[in-house]
Amino acid sequence: MSHRLRFIPGRLVQSIPVAFGVTLIVFLLAHLLPGNAALALLGERATEQSVAALTARLGLDEPLWRQYLLFLGQLAHGDLGTSLTYQLPVTQLVLEAIPVTLTLLLYALVLALLISVPLAALAAFRPGGARDLGVRGFTLVGQGMPQFWVGIMLILLLGVSLRAFPVGGYGDTALEHLYHLFLPAVTLAIAMSPTIIRSLRSSMISVLGSEYVGTAKMKGASGVQLFRGHVLRNAAIPTVSIIGVNLGYLVGGSLVIERVFALPGLGSLMINSIFTRDFPTIQGVTLFVALFVVVVGILTDVVYTLLDPRVDLSRTARA
Amino acid sequence: MRTRFGVVGALALTMALALGGCGAAGSDDGADAGGAPAKGGDLTMARSADIIAMDKTTTFDNNSIRVMEQIMEPLFHASADGTKLEPWLATGYTISDDQLTYTIPLRTDVTFSNGTPMTAKDVKFSIDENTKTGAEGWGFVNAAIDTVTATDDHTVTVKLKYPWAPLIADLSIFSNGVVPEGYGGKTAEEFYTAPVGTGPFVWDGWKKGQSLKLTANEKYWQKGKPYLSSVQWNVVPDANTRKLQVQGGQIDIDDTPDWSSLSSLKASGDVKAETFPSTQIDYVAFNQARAPFDDVHVRRAISYAIDRESLVKAVLFGNGEAANSLLSPGTPYYDKNAGGATFDVAKAKAELAQSSKPDGFTTTLLIASGNPNQASVAQIMQSELKDIGITMEIKQLDPTANKQARLASDFDMTISAWTMDIPDPDQWTSFAVDPQGGSKSAFTSYDNPEVVAINAQAQKETDSAKRQELYTQLQQKTSEDAFLAYLYYSPYVYASTSKVQGFHVTPLGGYLLQDVSKKQ
Repeated sequence: MSHRLRFIPGRLVQSIPVAFGVTLIVFLLAHLLPGNAALALLGERATEQSVAALTARLGLDEPLWRQYLLFLGQLAHGDLGTSLTYQLPVTQLVLEAIPVTLTLLLYALVLALLISVPLAALAAFRPGGARDLGVRGFTLVGQGMPQFWVGIMLILLLGVSLRAFPVGGYGDTALEHLYHLFLPAVTLAIAMSPTIIRSLRSSMISVLGSEYVGTAKMKGASGVQLFRGHVLRNAAIPTVSIIGVNLGYLVGGSLVIERVFALPGLGSLMINSIFTRDFPTIQGVTLFVALFVVVVGILTDVVYTLLDPRVDLSRTARA
Repeated sequence: MRTRFGVVGALALTMALALGGCGAAGSDDGADAGGAPAKGGDLTMARSADIIAMDKTTTFDNNSIRVMEQIMEPLFHASADGTKLEPWLATGYTISDDQLTYTIPLRTDVTFSNGTPMTAKDVKFSIDENTKTGAEGWGFVNAAIDTVTATDDHTVTVKLKYPWAPLIADLSIFSNGVVPEGYGGKTAEEFYTAPVGTGPFVWDGWKKGQSLKLTANEKYWQKGKPYLSSVQWNVVPDANTRKLQVQGGQIDIDDTPDWSSLSSLKASGDVKAETFPSTQIDYVAFNQARAPFDDVHVRRAISYAIDRESLVKAVLFGNGEAANSLLSPGTPYYDKNAGGATFDVAKAKAELAQSSKPDGFTTTLLIASGNPNQASVAQIMQSELKDIGITMEIKQLDPTANKQARLASDFDMTISAWTMDIPDPDQWTSFAVDPQGGSKSAFTSYDNPEVVAINAQAQKETDSAKRQELYTQLQQKTSEDAFLAYLYYSPYVYASTSKVQGFHVTPLGGYLLQDVSKKQ
């Protein structure tokens, strides 16, 4: 099967100019904003002299092109520069934030699948029935509710009234992480699941009506075996690409969720660094998010290829 | 020679210590009614942003400063009401007749949290360290200091370049907090990643963007304190989340609840929302480098047109008071009869009629985006100014861009606020009225030589009755000139669970956590 994954190195090479393009755009956009990090750091009491002195010390008085070249030069050495706010390597800040965001996204994905697969199956086995209507109602409502609102409602119910889960924070141990991340992950999962359910439901309906499922049934396959071996695997193929696209969007959604739940992930780091005009950190985080979206794209293709023997992306790439 | 504090001060301090008070919280001092404060417990506070750094000489943000103050202590301290100075690591001071030499005896029972005794050499090192930071740090507060000498183990002599009344107040600022001489053999950078001081708490750890923890200093010189085992500050940017966390009991104190949430917080049984008088003054600044704001009648017209009482109601939900002076009530030498403009539409119209723009004009007000208070003030002002014939557009820029515009004098009018770091009006008056103060008179380009001269005279005057006279004059003249339209004085507000005892905030915004305890 491995020959069908030969497209991966090519994709990775393609992602390099994409990532650079993203950093250039972000670099220019960030520097077009009025105000610099020296202003943000010094606060109300700062005088012109102190702002000028700090601006010079931080290298922000250099011409833009030189600042960008400096950034690229550092990047070539695997160095993302130093955070202007924290005076720490950006790589360190980003590496500390990544596990939080990644755990949150994976957790949300798992929960979304736990919600979506049974609901989609429930709806698909009797299309038009009461259960189907109920599930479709859920997807409508789920899609209509803004994420931050769902988050706040969950906090009010499970965090404040029942005190079952903490309101924000990240905890110290792996178990605590799972406990602390439960509410934000559910919030993201609720946002994610309507799309997954719809896609799974419609492809399950078409798979269930297909000849090969009929054949499998005649051969005596039934219940879980039929569902897992024939229905789910085939119905999952279009859903995988939908999940892939959604994960990219979810990185954006997690910016809001991380803020509501006070999570020290990439989203919080990004928002903070924008407010404080911490250019190296803005660039570093953006670079990682861009790479993340590219990698998710590649992984989606990998899963797609593995699920469907008819797909060979190395050939399409060459054609 | 005149003696301040001296023996009397030391006695008073000892008594205060014996009573378990030490000038912080007055009647509600860490204890339940009738009982001793509970020992132990971990206090968790939530606030909107993380610290930036622990270097007390170059860090300007309040979040960092509040943490430093628990670790490193200065020689003097502002009283609980913020209007007086009390001896802290010093026991008092004497001034020479020429006003140029201050002799400061130190406490002999103070050790750093690492066990080393604190001596005059450490104090000299710490003040010099701050002075050296120059333009980039807080060095300007020590500008009047010529030399600091460790006369003996427990006496420090400070020689001044010129008479400078705010000296003791300057020595009470966190950036003059005492650290071990030579950073105990470390580099400054190494030292400030985990600073050591004489304060009630010891550096524990910092998870960037997440939380910061301090633990109790077992060797603290105020015996029996601190009551708490540890203090932790969590970063929770969302105000609503902070409110829910304090209601859910996940945190003990929410450091800045929204004004709009106060009544609902007060209604939820287990949470109290407390306000503390502050030195904050919110104001509208007029850019005098631009017409027509170089015209005093225009400025006065706008000042009279603002209904401050309704601002207090609409913006602060009734918590706070209308501002009537350049100084705030929590600042020494505040004069409540300073003559700041009050709401009077007839007077506003009369002033405008006398001005260079008798028929009104069109102008802009710069505010910071994402600041609901400034947005409300701006909208109310917009309709009030319309009544006297001025069309005002509201211009929003995000906080950093907003600062940039002010620094570049690129605005007509703007809303801003000030809080004090030392219990002496000079820090603010020099910034606000002295064009040489480094900020073009709080970015307004205001320049009244008479006011500048009064300010300079007040800096040299050590007699407090005479200083009061000078600052009263200064407040009256600045009110007449209306170079700022004062808006309101807003208190600090903190929401906490009923378990928290003895939490008190001074008008300077600082809090002494050694006096806080937590009911188990």
